[in-house]
Amino acid sequence: MFDEFETPEPDEAVKLALRRIDEATARGEGSDADGLAFNEVVVNMGPQHPSTHGVLRLVVTLDGELVKDVIPVIGYLHRCKEKLAERRTYFQYIPIVDRTEYVASINCEWGYVLAVEKLAGIRPTRRAEFIRVITGELMRIASHLVAVGTFTADLSPLGTAMVFYMFRDRELILDLMEELTGARMMFNYYRFGGVRYDLPDGWVEKCRDLMKRMPKLIDEYESLVDDNAIFLQRTQGKGVITQQDVVDYGITGPNARASGVAHDLRRTRPYSVYPELDFEVCTLDHGDIFDRYKVRMHEMRESVKIVEQCLDMLPKGPVQSGSLRAPYVITPPPGSCYVGQENPRGEYGTYIESDGSRYPYRLKYRDPCFCNLQLFPKLLSGNKIADAVAISGSIDLVLGGIDR
Amino acid sequence: MDILLGILRAIVFVVIAYMVVFVAALVNIVFERRALAFMQDRHGPNRTGPHGVLQSVADAFKMMGKEDFRPLLADPFLFTLAPIMVMIGAVAVQIVIPYTDGITATGLDVGLIFLVAITSFTTLSILLGGWSSRNKYSLVGALRAAAQMISYEIPMILGLIVVAMVVGSLSVVDVVEAQSGYQWIAFYAPFTFLIFYIASIAELNRGPFDLPESESELVSGYGTEYSGMRFGMFFLNEYAGMTIMSMVAVTLFFGGWQGPFAEAVQFWGVSWIGLVWFLVKTYLLVFALVWIRLSLPRLQVDQLMGFAWKVLIPLGLVNILATAAVMLWVPSWKWGLAVFSWIAFFAFVGLLDPILKYRLRKQRERQPVVSA
Repeated sequence: MFDEFETPEPDEAVKLALRRIDEATARGEGSDADGLAFNEVVVNMGPQHPSTHGVLRLVVTLDGELVKDVIPVIGYLHRCKEKLAERRTYFQYIPIVDRTEYVASINCEWGYVLAVEKLAGIRPTRRAEFIRVITGELMRIASHLVAVGTFTADLSPLGTAMVFYMFRDRELILDLMEELTGARMMFNYYRFGGVRYDLPDGWVEKCRDLMKRMPKLIDEYESLVDDNAIFLQRTQGKGVITQQDVVDYGITGPNARASGVAHDLRRTRPYSVYPELDFEVCTLDHGDIFDRYKVRMHEMRESVKIVEQCLDMLPKGPVQSGSLRAPYVITPPPGSCYVGQENPRGEYGTYIESDGSRYPYRLKYRDPCFCNLQLFPKLLSGNKIADAVAISGSIDLVLGGIDR
Repeated sequence: MDILLGILRAIVFVVIAYMVVFVAALVNIVFERRALAFMQDRHGPNRTGPHGVLQSVADAFKMMGKEDFRPLLADPFLFTLAPIMVMIGAVAVQIVIPYTDGITATGLDVGLIFLVAITSFTTLSILLGGWSSRNKYSLVGALRAAAQMISYEIPMILGLIVVAMVVGSLSVVDVVEAQSGYQWIAFYAPFTFLIFYIASIAELNRGPFDLPESESELVSGYGTEYSGMRFGMFFLNEYAGMTIMSMVAVTLFFGGWQGPFAEAVQFWGVSWIGLVWFLVKTYLLVFALVWIRLSLPRLQVDQLMGFAWKVLIPLGLVNILATAAVMLWVPSWKWGLAVFSWIAFFAFVGLLDPILKYRLRKQRERQPVVSA
């Protein structure tokens, strides 16, 4: 009776997964030691799946509970962000940068603005530099809160509580940002040579209050899961990224630092006023899910330290170099430049090529999530489904950045 | 005449059993949502009726109004049969449970065996539903459910055996009567209760054992293809199960309907305050279920099976042997059993976590360091 209905033709990714199964069978790997055939099932996780955090699609080959193969499929959120730059002036493009990687949008803005400033030879004022560091680090905390919260939610209803606590406290940061920039997510705040607005009255005190509370809140989150045997059992020793993987796949950010690679662009290739600030690059040794979670918690604490220092050192002066009209018309000399900037998820590189006109000739991002995603087939294969979900949560992908 | 009365009695009790299932499910859904909201620092449903108490009634009507949809490739007969069958366990269990003195459908002589047998019905219909819906998530969820529920039925039975040994009867009414005068079995066999309770949480597919429908992995497990009232039946059964399982636990371990002044108000041959005590005790255990669900992360399949086969089943067997030895050789065996069982209870509660953590620490030390 099933013949009445035509099953739709599987798409390329599913076909590839099926072909790989056939190839493995042809090589004689399709059966276990007793000569019994594996019963492999190709399952489509996403683009609408509760734990892929966005529109990531994973075509997973399962052998019972075991993941044998993973094929990531991306492009469901592609909005031509890079091509759009070629038809907009440098200034007009700033709000669009926000929308690439929307969880830590201000850090992406920063990367773009840094690249244009380098290309055009503009120097931001000192006060603006400090404001940039403050806002950037605040968004780093907010972004890590989202990352850790959604990751624990993948593990259990306990994590659902964690998500609510973390989003509650992310709201506090977003409130600060709203007061400063007028927006909660798409800030459009940085300008070439400075920032758009100076800090409003009383903002510094509010920020200081929040930074005083933040370490206690982070302790609270850690106390929820760190002492929990089930959580430890599910996270320790699973999904290990080796240092060779880090080098081979270009893993950056907290994921690399959890494997002991002290690669933090704020230290290794400093920009802005980071050389003057005192903070440590947190690295851990095991490179498993637990370490990746722990690195993020540690980085939040470091970010709190950085913000507090910046609030203390905040100089007086203008927040925009040159005249206020200056950023609107920019024609950088012909040439190209690449600027890497430490996003919460890793090295966010912006490559701009200029032909001397008002529009960029070419713009290209190096998104950390895109590089981290390439590790998925290697990292997930051989784990159980539940582990695979936990691992993909701990890698912390944002599809807006991957698809652009 | 007797036959007619018997039929009437049967009808009345079936109606009561269904009422209990539906009302319990609706109450539990709102209760859990509000309790979780309270623990997660948010409001929860609070718009439908005072404090949102009518939310699940509204949801039930919404589900009934939905399209009765069936995937084209699903097996039509089994796909429809599964949600109809899923209630049987929750309803039929109540046949042997005394709500209070005077409201018992039947004092079945083999009540305890009946309890175990009839609760397995849920497993069967979950397996049917998952298998017949022709969906990979459903199938994996259903197989997980079947494996888990069968594994955890064994420690549950091992717990029930101790109850039967202590009481000396398989009849549930006898079990309640044996606990009169506050000699609740949970007081002198707390360890047995612990084993039974952990196993019953797993039987209910609730956190931390909610793998069959872990939404982060399997969308919603065996129920993925179900919608409308068919889904509603699974959903209602799951939440009614909380109350039914707590009722069973209260009856077997906490003296059922007995309590202070339980027999003070009696008319129509029924102790009404006993009914209140029964409900109060039941809902204390339901609250514990909600609390546990929120506090513990979900286990993994291998950990889940390992916990059943490596921890609970051996401990259950040892518990039976020790109880038998105490009953055989200790003169006032209730005291002896109490001493043994409380020691075992605290040893289990106190040592499980440190032992697990010690092993994890050792494992962590052996774990290769990638940053070398």
